[in-house]
Amino acid sequence: MISFDLLANTELAFERPAIDWHAAAPELVLLAWGALVTLVDLVWLEKARRFIPTLTGFGFLAALIPVVTLWADSDALPRQMFDGAYVTDELALVFKGLFLLSAYVVVLLGANYLNDGNYYDSEFYQLISASVLGMLIMASARDLVPIFIAIELVSIPAYLMAAWRKRDLKSNEAGLKYMLMGVFASAIMLYGMSLLYGMAGSTQISAIGEALTGLSDRPLVILGVLFTLIGFGFKVSAVPFHTWAPDTYEGAPTPLTAFLAVASKTAGFVALLTVILIGFESKSELVEPFMWVLAAATMTIGNLIALRQTNIVRMLAYSGVAQAGYMLAPLAVYSANPELSRSAVVNYLLIYAAMNLGAFAVVIIAARKTKSGEISSFGGMFQYAPGLTVAMTIFLFSLAGLPPVGGWLAKWRVFESLLFFGEGSTAPSLAGVLLAVLVALNSVVAAYYYLSVAKQMWFMPAVNDDNSTIKIPSALTIALAIAVVITVVSGVTNLMPELSTADFGLGQ
Amino acid sequence: MFLNQFLLFAAVLFSIGVYGVLTRRNGVLVLMSIELILNAVNINLIAFAAYNQDLSGQVFALFIIAVAAAEVGVGLAIVLLIYRNRRSIDITEQNALRG
Amino acid sequence: MSEFFREYLIVFFFILLAVAAVGGLIGLSSAIRPNRPSKGKIKNYESGVDPTEGGWSQSQIRYYIFALLFVMFDVEAVFIFPWATVLEELGWFGLVEMVIFIFILALGLGYAWRKGVLKWA
Repeated sequence: MISFDLLANTELAFERPAIDWHAAAPELVLLAWGALVTLVDLVWLEKARRFIPTLTGFGFLAALIPVVTLWADSDALPRQMFDGAYVTDELALVFKGLFLLSAYVVVLLGANYLNDGNYYDSEFYQLISASVLGMLIMASARDLVPIFIAIELVSIPAYLMAAWRKRDLKSNEAGLKYMLMGVFASAIMLYGMSLLYGMAGSTQISAIGEALTGLSDRPLVILGVLFTLIGFGFKVSAVPFHTWAPDTYEGAPTPLTAFLAVASKTAGFVALLTVILIGFESKSELVEPFMWVLAAATMTIGNLIALRQTNIVRMLAYSGVAQAGYMLAPLAVYSANPELSRSAVVNYLLIYAAMNLGAFAVVIIAARKTKSGEISSFGGMFQYAPGLTVAMTIFLFSLAGLPPVGGWLAKWRVFESLLFFGEGSTAPSLAGVLLAVLVALNSVVAAYYYLSVAKQMWFMPAVNDDNSTIKIPSALTIALAIAVVITVVSGVTNLMPELSTADFGLGQ
Repeated sequence: MFLNQFLLFAAVLFSIGVYGVLTRRNGVLVLMSIELILNAVNINLIAFAAYNQDLSGQVFALFIIAVAAAEVGVGLAIVLLIYRNRRSIDITEQNALRG
Repeated sequence: MSEFFREYLIVFFFILLAVAAVGGLIGLSSAIRPNRPSKGKIKNYESGVDPTEGGWSQSQIRYYIFALLFVMFDVEAVFIFPWATVLEELGWFGLVEMVIFIFILALGLGYAWRKGVLKWA
């Protein structure tokens, strides 16, 4: 019989793991700040209403301070805690900065939107803090348990926020679909993780990586690896796990849509990078074809459906699906040069965050006047809002991948990793070339629908010849400015910092 | 060591759960099917933990139990919201959003 | 046959024994008891008040919120038991950490109370 006397074989003396307070500071600051916001809301209720959005925004900026100080103290990186289950390296810091900054922009976007729609509740800000906390944990997690906790901490508040407009059936439905699909995907992922744990005998990603190296492709290994990847595929809305995305994006409040499309997707990619590059490094012959199919299907189907959308939010949703395809592409050839693939994905994520948040900001501003999400409602915007039109054009050019703004550099990096000459070979791999061709074809298709929005804004007449100007609240102006600056600058110079850790945070 | 019977049991539970998610049209029953999958995961983890003489699987299972409660709490709240607005929790009737 | 199946053989015999015992007793009682069916005997409660309405009824939505709150706090207790077993080694640090954990939980309860969720009306 099986013996359950576990304690007989484990060391009874429990030793408290050392905690590196500096490395944990961003998470702790955000946790404390979230508790503070909740307390303020508890004590003053309606009276605190005006201050909660600002307070939350400051919380994100406050959590950014330890990120900067950790970056400045770069000699001490990577900092490890709990036997390497929680690692703060340069890449993790880059992502933490990205998460906090985009969350700040989302709060700026949300401040007016929620008030206008009469759906204000201070809970929204507490939930968004919780979600961002999950992302910060995700960036450092190198163990199945914290990865799982982080994914759920990111998702569960997002389910609630998607259903935010309580009396609106569309929003209800957005929440329900997102929740059912999300919970199902994480259940499948957990089943895969439990198999991986069984084979490795440890929940640490690096230990799983070592264990998988020695194992042949048993069915159990294949199931474990693929189920885990499927769970992350859902988070990054890869085809065929994308079906929730457009419905949720359209039904959810638009600031939250921006949050889901940028921050939540980035969190999924962070987990995907960690698990693939550290855990499944030796299983490239299994993971690469899977990612290849996923990337090809995601970009092609995303773009084809985006082509025939008339609602701007749905179009951005499907275009976001297609963009996820471009980001998955380097992972289909990662074994040739993991370092290059990783930097291509990270670079794309950084630029994508700026340009997509910017596009959503313009949509939110325009909807304040037009009260419509249709692309045709953007007609004639150049006449009454030239500044906004120029900004939107920059974002659209960037999304389409046209130089000189950010997006083209991101795509360039993807091509670079796809067409990389493997060691000792004189030509790039066939899979890489084929995928590069697909990316190129898709970019052409995508350019058509991005530019048709620009055409609508510059050349078409306004709806009902209504040329009254749009009042842009100051919070939205700041958000827009941040997005424009990053999008433009990232096209001219390489914003991506040089990452010195070549071992993917596995340790010194 | 008899690891197989636990794994098989978990696999059966997992399959029933997936079947339930794919065929049930009642939102609450879908959530219950997902609970079945999560329980299959817990059985797997605990069986492997006993087999490998390693505690981390049990710790993982504890976390899954706690998070599953939160997930279902949120899930039922959303299903309830839909019921209030629509008087039905049939998920195939959720078609306000199409495209 | 393997050791494993042999152990289950005992369970199998017990099942046979249980079926035989219960079946035998019920069969015996049905053979010797008088049989006089009447309508009152098939009601839900043979004695007492006549049942009204159907078997299905909806329960108050308010129970749901309380049940949910209970489940939340109940489940969080799983983290307290392992902590309690190593409290001696952890010392003051462990105590402070648990106080923070419970504070965050209490924040949730306080929130529910302040927003009027706990009012029964």
